[in-house]
Amino acid sequence: MTSVMLSDPVVEELVSIVGRDRVFTDPAARFNRARVPAPFPVHRWAEHVPDAVVLPVSAQEVSEVVKLANRHRIPVVPRAGGTGLTDGAVPLQHGIVVDVKLMNKVFELDLEDRTVTVGPGINMMKLNEELRKHDVIYPDDPASYPCSLVGGRIGTSGWSLIGGRYGHTRDLVISFEMVLPTGDIVRVGDGGGKKVRKSSSGYQLKHLFMGHQGTLGIVTEATLELVPRPEAEFAAFFSYEDYESAWRSTGALARSGLATLAGVVLFDEWKIRYLRRDDEAYIPQPDSVKAVVAVAMYGVADEVRPAAKRIMRIGKESGGSYLGDEISQGDWASRHDRYATPLHGRLPDRQVAPMSWHCEDASINWSQLPKVREKWHALVSDLIERHPIFDDWGMFAYTNGAYKPWGDYLTEIDVGIWEQELDDESWEAWVNCKRDIAAVSLEHGGSISACHGSCRAGEVDLVPEELGGGFEVMKKIKKALDPNNIMNPGKYLLDSAYEDGGETL
Amino acid sequence: MTQHETKSDGKSAADNGLQTEFVERWRDAAYNCYSSGHKFCREVCPVMQVTRDEAHTPTSFHANIVAMEKGHLSVEDVARDYVHCTQCGACELRCPNTLFTGDFYRFRTRTVEVVRAMRALAVDSGVEQEGWKRWVELTDSYRSEPVMGDVEVSQDHVADWAQGLDIPIGGDTLLFCDCEGAFFRTSTPRAAAKILKAAGVEFGLMREQWCCGGPAAEMGYVEKARSFAEHNIADWRSVGANRIIVFDPHDYISFTEDYPRYFGDDFDFEIVLMVELVAELVRDGKLKLTQPINRTVTYHDACRLNKRKGIHEAPREILRAIPGLTFKDVDHVTQWSYCSGAGAGLGIERPDLTAEISRRRIERAAELEVDALVSACVWSERPLSEQGGKRAEPIEVLDLLELVGQSAGLDDEEVGS
Repeated sequence: MTSVMLSDPVVEELVSIVGRDRVFTDPAARFNRARVPAPFPVHRWAEHVPDAVVLPVSAQEVSEVVKLANRHRIPVVPRAGGTGLTDGAVPLQHGIVVDVKLMNKVFELDLEDRTVTVGPGINMMKLNEELRKHDVIYPDDPASYPCSLVGGRIGTSGWSLIGGRYGHTRDLVISFEMVLPTGDIVRVGDGGGKKVRKSSSGYQLKHLFMGHQGTLGIVTEATLELVPRPEAEFAAFFSYEDYESAWRSTGALARSGLATLAGVVLFDEWKIRYLRRDDEAYIPQPDSVKAVVAVAMYGVADEVRPAAKRIMRIGKESGGSYLGDEISQGDWASRHDRYATPLHGRLPDRQVAPMSWHCEDASINWSQLPKVREKWHALVSDLIERHPIFDDWGMFAYTNGAYKPWGDYLTEIDVGIWEQELDDESWEAWVNCKRDIAAVSLEHGGSISACHGSCRAGEVDLVPEELGGGFEVMKKIKKALDPNNIMNPGKYLLDSAYEDGGETL
Repeated sequence: MTQHETKSDGKSAADNGLQTEFVERWRDAAYNCYSSGHKFCREVCPVMQVTRDEAHTPTSFHANIVAMEKGHLSVEDVARDYVHCTQCGACELRCPNTLFTGDFYRFRTRTVEVVRAMRALAVDSGVEQEGWKRWVELTDSYRSEPVMGDVEVSQDHVADWAQGLDIPIGGDTLLFCDCEGAFFRTSTPRAAAKILKAAGVEFGLMREQWCCGGPAAEMGYVEKARSFAEHNIADWRSVGANRIIVFDPHDYISFTEDYPRYFGDDFDFEIVLMVELVAELVRDGKLKLTQPINRTVTYHDACRLNKRKGIHEAPREILRAIPGLTFKDVDHVTQWSYCSGAGAGLGIERPDLTAEISRRRIERAAELEVDALVSACVWSERPLSEQGGKRAEPIEVLDLLELVGQSAGLDDEEVGS
């Protein structure tokens, strides 16, 4: 790691760009922007603390900060919500955190061409509070819907719980303005004006600048898709006596071809056991309930109501028992909050311990789910045996494709980690386990990450293997666009792009 | 700035064991938040919605304690951040730990208590905020808060609002009048008193009413707050009171949460919230609302009633009982993210934030195309009125009790004047 000094003159330059009240160098401001909800080596917190934090309000200010960083060779780390389940917003090499939360304005609502143009600091729930007055919504619906911000959704190329119906972040962001690592301001989309959804002019830069975890610049404005506010919602939860039946049912539901299908979620028996610990919906379920499949649909009533009948038929024909309206509607309505809170954590002796949540988020093809599941649980069991501060919270598999939700699944094993007890040895064991989990995903033809990004310690070592020659292309792009390696250095092994004669920090 | 100056020794210069004791007390609660990292609290927080500063979030308020335990931060480093809280309680409700495991574990995230405890640690460690320090000193001197109003703040004038109403001193039931009502919005306690009389509720006033002490407690001056409480309780006992009626939600918090904490089982007074009593009186036909009020209004859920105490039905029941009134309601859960910004001393240290939080609340009301916003919290009414009056199309801020008084034909003054 290269060392960086932020001298007082640099701070004064930052002040001259954004104003004194939006530059923070005090310890509390910096320590609170060192971490995200992803598992974090809390015993090594000080290693990840930025040197300064700025809260810009315009692309011009962001650009000036980035140019300053280039002049002084200081790392810049963009931060939107700081709610990521990978560590993209963690300043691995210190430097300046560019926190975009004040850039949360709605610039334009276009009800004719169905777009809304916003700053990257706006939250989707807050945006929808405004949009619903006009009978439209922006349907990007991650688990972090009440708190994550549009900028982070672009930086991670997020996944939406209802993406099977409405698409995921990449499908919902039409175009956006970026400050490149050199400070230049560009607009990227499919091509054409900022409200054009499909173009074949030139390279498709929109995808390049999504999911880069802040290594290729900072989003400063985005034009988003609007869809009609759904007039009908339907959710059904089915229980099964074994995982295999539930898995087959998941496949059948996802392949149903119903256009209003927003998503199908498979809970395995480890997840059910975990929910039985304290969840009033699952405690009373009979022992025969070993797996659950949830399905949700959105759209106009004329389409959703008849489609719901077909869903009920598929669920029952595949061996499912309907869990009732209360669980179906209630659990789905509370899906953002319900399944991962610290108090669910248990030590091997069943004592409650407040645990943070690791959410593995591989993309796995449907056919491979049963095998991946067995291997992942075995890896986590082995970890728990050696380090009882970890806990297996079971698995979910969610339909992962936009509009055609059948081929692959966001596959999640949730691991509880009692961070209070972390030390170097247990952290190392965790990183190794994480790498082994990622290796299983690749063995089965999957991807390490469907939505969070695969730059967490451990898994990141396998990114060159996953991407093959594509990783070499990534490095060339990184070096070409960021000659001084100032944008979020240390992420995605991209420092290696500068090792052969390239200028490094 | 020096190179990676991430390490302070985490020790408070003024630490004489207080910080260690504090961390010991709050560490596990802090980890319950730190380990979650959901941050669902953030977008409902009235302060965070304005400052967008992560250091002003419940997440940081808890994470700081973990950082203190690890030796990274001290109370001096964080005290100022904890000014940025109105103690409205929205974050506690929105926390998944409260929502989805609270019942099972009998657990609730207690951010308000964390903030109060950190403020108390700061005061006890000599890290004081100038505005609060002066406010509490003046409250100590006047026995009432130094609210700026038409009435001079002093014990000589603390019951001026009751002139001509012929209210006795003492008795089984007392009406407690908070400082803002006593010296600024005197029309509110007058309305309260007239309503009680009209409904046949016998009540008196204290011999010598002091501030409830709540604001001092909220700002971290716990011992000072307790001394006010001791005086007030002694006064209540001296006149044989058993039942205290309060109309101010902040007093209600003091009497139902702080006082029992100070005095334990010795605190055996019945505390009656005026808005609940009025709803009951109307329901039972003891208070007749006969005069139509031909206005279009919405209701501002007082944070300390709605979010802290779960009281949101009674005010709505009253509004629906007023003839002629067009009531455009916004549900109480949506209002978790609303606030006037007036609570917990924010307006003293950051009047700019209070003004902006109030402005946004008024704009929410304006979107409903109402001509008035009704509040049941006298402390919210001043900043909300200021912002409502600044609009090209003003939004008037009415007090619920004043409105009731008018509808009951008890009005000798124009509502809202």
